[in-house]
Amino acid sequence: MGRILNSIHRFFSEMSRSSSPNEDYINKLFLWFLILAAIIMIIVIVAVLIGAIHYRSSRHQGEPEQITGIKWLEITWTIIPLLILLIFFYFTVRFMKDIDQPVDKNQQADIIITARQWWWEMQYSKYNFTTANELHIPVHQKLLMRVESADVIHDWWVPELGRKIDAIPGTSNYSWLEASDTGEYKGACSEYCGTQHAGMRILVISETKNEFDQWVQDQQKVPSPPVDSVAQRGMRLFSERTCAGCHSISGTVAVSHIGPDLTHLASRKTLISGVLTNTPKNLYLWLQNPQKLKEGSHMPNFILSNNELEALVKYLEELK
Amino acid sequence: MKLNIHIPEPTKLIPDIRTGEGLLQWLSTVDHKLIGIMYLCTALLFFVLGFGEALMMRIQLMRPLNNFLSPEAYNQLFTTHGTNMIFLVLTPMLLGFATYSLPLMIGANEMAFPRLNAFSYWIFLLGGLILYASFFAGGMPNVGWFSYAPLSERFFSSTKGVDYWVISLLLMGIGSVGAALNFVVTTLTMRTKGILMNQLPLFVWMVFVNSFLILAAFPVLNAALFMIFIDRQFDAHFFVSATGGSPVMWQHLFWGFGHPEVYILALPAFGMVSEVIPVFSRKPIFGYEFIAASSVAIMLLSFGVWAHHMFAVGLGTTFNAFFAASSMLIAVPTGIKIFNWIATMWGGSVQLKTAMLFALALVVNFTIGGLSGVGFSLVPVDWRLTDTYFVVAHIHYVLIGGSLTGGFAAAYYWFPKITGRMLSEKIGKWHFWLYFIGFNCTFFVFHFLGLLGMPRRVYTYPDLPYLGTLNLFSTISACVFGISFILFFWNIFYSLRHGRIAGNNPWNAWTLEWLTSSPPQQKNFEKVPLVRSRRPLWDMLHPEDPDWKRENKNKIKKTGYE
Amino acid sequence: MFFFVGSESFFFLALIISYIYFSHTGGVLSESSHYLDVKRTGIFTIALLSSSITIFLADVSLKRMNRKAHRIWLAATIILGLIFILGQTTEYLKLYKLNFTISKNVFGSAFFTLTGFHGLHVLIGLLVLLIVLIMINNGKFKTIEHTAFSSAAIYWHFVDAVWIVVFSVVYLGALI
Repeated sequence: MGRILNSIHRFFSEMSRSSSPNEDYINKLFLWFLILAAIIMIIVIVAVLIGAIHYRSSRHQGEPEQITGIKWLEITWTIIPLLILLIFFYFTVRFMKDIDQPVDKNQQADIIITARQWWWEMQYSKYNFTTANELHIPVHQKLLMRVESADVIHDWWVPELGRKIDAIPGTSNYSWLEASDTGEYKGACSEYCGTQHAGMRILVISETKNEFDQWVQDQQKVPSPPVDSVAQRGMRLFSERTCAGCHSISGTVAVSHIGPDLTHLASRKTLISGVLTNTPKNLYLWLQNPQKLKEGSHMPNFILSNNELEALVKYLEELK
Repeated sequence: MKLNIHIPEPTKLIPDIRTGEGLLQWLSTVDHKLIGIMYLCTALLFFVLGFGEALMMRIQLMRPLNNFLSPEAYNQLFTTHGTNMIFLVLTPMLLGFATYSLPLMIGANEMAFPRLNAFSYWIFLLGGLILYASFFAGGMPNVGWFSYAPLSERFFSSTKGVDYWVISLLLMGIGSVGAALNFVVTTLTMRTKGILMNQLPLFVWMVFVNSFLILAAFPVLNAALFMIFIDRQFDAHFFVSATGGSPVMWQHLFWGFGHPEVYILALPAFGMVSEVIPVFSRKPIFGYEFIAASSVAIMLLSFGVWAHHMFAVGLGTTFNAFFAASSMLIAVPTGIKIFNWIATMWGGSVQLKTAMLFALALVVNFTIGGLSGVGFSLVPVDWRLTDTYFVVAHIHYVLIGGSLTGGFAAAYYWFPKITGRMLSEKIGKWHFWLYFIGFNCTFFVFHFLGLLGMPRRVYTYPDLPYLGTLNLFSTISACVFGISFILFFWNIFYSLRHGRIAGNNPWNAWTLEWLTSSPPQQKNFEKVPLVRSRRPLWDMLHPEDPDWKRENKNKIKKTGYE
Repeated sequence: MFFFVGSESFFFLALIISYIYFSHTGGVLSESSHYLDVKRTGIFTIALLSSSITIFLADVSLKRMNRKAHRIWLAATIILGLIFILGQTTEYLKLYKLNFTISKNVFGSAFFTLTGFHGLHVLIGLLVLLIVLIMINNGKFKTIEHTAFSSAAIYWHFVDAVWIVVFSVVYLGALI
């Protein structure tokens, strides 16, 4: 019995995960609403059951009394819901304002997120570097996100960290991001954006101030050129086999921003927008046939030989 | 050149489609009853397609990282499934019952414009076929049933699917407007002697109110469809942000239609249960005026709530607050209806026939859908729930739990009138319970999935806690749900041959359609008695206690004579 | 007919709102509005508006059972409508020569869609009036003449009324 209760508790706490003040507001309002909805639901179900069982025809004879309505009753069940909704409206507006605090026009965004089919570009404008798909944030710090899109409409959503915000081409949306615990938070694009909508996941890593500063320093560094001969070959291939046509790696000739920035690829936990964990084997498979692992992705199959694949993987996995 | 085909007057009330003559009679008919039946059969046909699509999606989602369908196939399936179920199943189902029953219920022999009526049906069918023709033209639409721009622009969706989708919806839109026009004029001008506007059966009243919704909402959709079509075909710039257009404008226009559309699908179903519940409770509807007025309130409010689909767009606090308020407000008239239906049962003598069971299922399931709808009007909560499986649960609770369930109540209720035979109660009860259990098990877990963080419209999902288990449970329940429909088809098939002969008024109901024979003669009524109340057949059977005395109590008291 | 026209007005409402929205947010209004020739279109507008008067006169003469006057006024309405269409066609041709098309920019998209759909409605109206005229000449109508004609007339007035709004928004709006 205790175990069953325990697992039910686990199930429900899984659904109300929160790790930010904003999500706390949302959870609070949702809980109140859930209680109200449950009460109404019970009233309706019990009332229907009473109607179906207590008033069933086998317990009566002949036609029942023909009542056409009772006015005060109608007015009661019009007014009471109105009053309840009024209370909820008050809290809706209040929490909405708490979550969506106004943004000062001159304020520079801490993070600029550009959604693309089907990955996320993340610019740390204050630190002057760009990364992709994995967002590192310092814990307990309120950051301003600017969310944009380079193609179709996407939507930024990390359940534990507060509200959804649409990424709309031609528009800049702002939202506040704050984590109250360190840890990893998984999210996903939640506006349908085409073939690989499902393959557009988000990883947010909240860490202590020191860890974050260290990470920023690492990211700002230009990776040192490879010393290993296989990796050197990989680096050459990267510019020859048109990889550089879309991707950029700082310190090299690759400066294009069509695909994700790969400068510190090896420091990331996942590949291709959270679809695979970052291991040399997965990277190998991905380069071998991108369409097999993420059908519809804009990365073409370059039909690389095994040697070329090994060299590229070696090079990319050294980009710490 | 003159086409010379002689089509003899039908000898049977329902012509046999297997003979060439019968087929011609179906094709050329302008009789509202036959057109109504055609709508209903078409709805059933498309339902099978739509359900098949749903089942394929459920198989794909059965376990995490499944490979049953490719992402492209999945995307086409959910788009077609949504469009199919909304425009090709629920709409013709409701139009079908309305086309069949509305003239009968007001004692008319025809619709006001019989030819327009036939035109509406055929153009609707053409639209439906064009949607599926896209399959052969290089791919079905793959951008979701609300086709958000710029994803639906040619640059991002280069197959012909969206073009077919646009044309199909335009045609169906024209058909719906024609049908709505017909209902309005029929209700206004064709009522038999005596029926006042406040004595209309509630189903007629709701179809009437609903028609105004259609007349105002569909043109907005048509305008938007034309714009996206011009964008795609003639390189215009309406919804392309790079050249000054606005993708958000598409959302405003689409939901300006889309939210009223939800009520277009719900109101007639409300009307159906407002007919069924009183009959099987043996009592007049509780609070007729309030139910009727709340429908008008819903109609008017539904034009002011569209942007609650857009709370995540980032349109500002004031804007959101306005639409939050209007969306909450619309819950009130819906609540009034629920309470009135329950109050109709209370104090009655309730017969739990299959039709009544379905009506009660609507009361319960629509309440769930309505309540989760209120959840979306709480903007911060919406920021968490929108575009997740929670919203998928909500739409299915509203459209299946509301409209489709209402449709089944109506099917069991009116089948005897339409065919002359009763549907089997025994199979019906099995159908009902499998339907009720299958439906709730399939879709209730969607609420949990949404809260767990599963976005909608994903062809696959990672193996996160609970997602796999819940999805598997939903897929299995969907099969149970599917079996219930097989039972329904079996019930129709069986009852058409062996069902009990219905007689004119098997339910002992009170509205005018039960005055005619089952099925009604080609000319519905030879003679209709003067109608003096909302329940003319009650007055005929109970001359000692007629409704018109009850309804005019106040007037009689004041003036002293009847 | 009134319900149909009411429904149609929502269609135009959506188009007009979109037009206003796009012509102001796109930031191309001032750049493009000089393409429009208000005076020239104004003349054709007068033609269309006076056709509303002629059809009203046709209605009056029908009520007085003056068949001949009825036919003449109806024919006059059709001619005025044709003049308007002619004006619109030449305007489109002129704009086309100036390389101002539907795909030029968002203003072009909105302009051609709105005025184009109105033009289409004028054409349909003309077709209906023409059919009514021909059927009257052939003596096809006996009893339903009045409804057929007055339905067509309502539609025609509607098309005119929409043009008043479109003209004010598009052409006069561009002057400001």
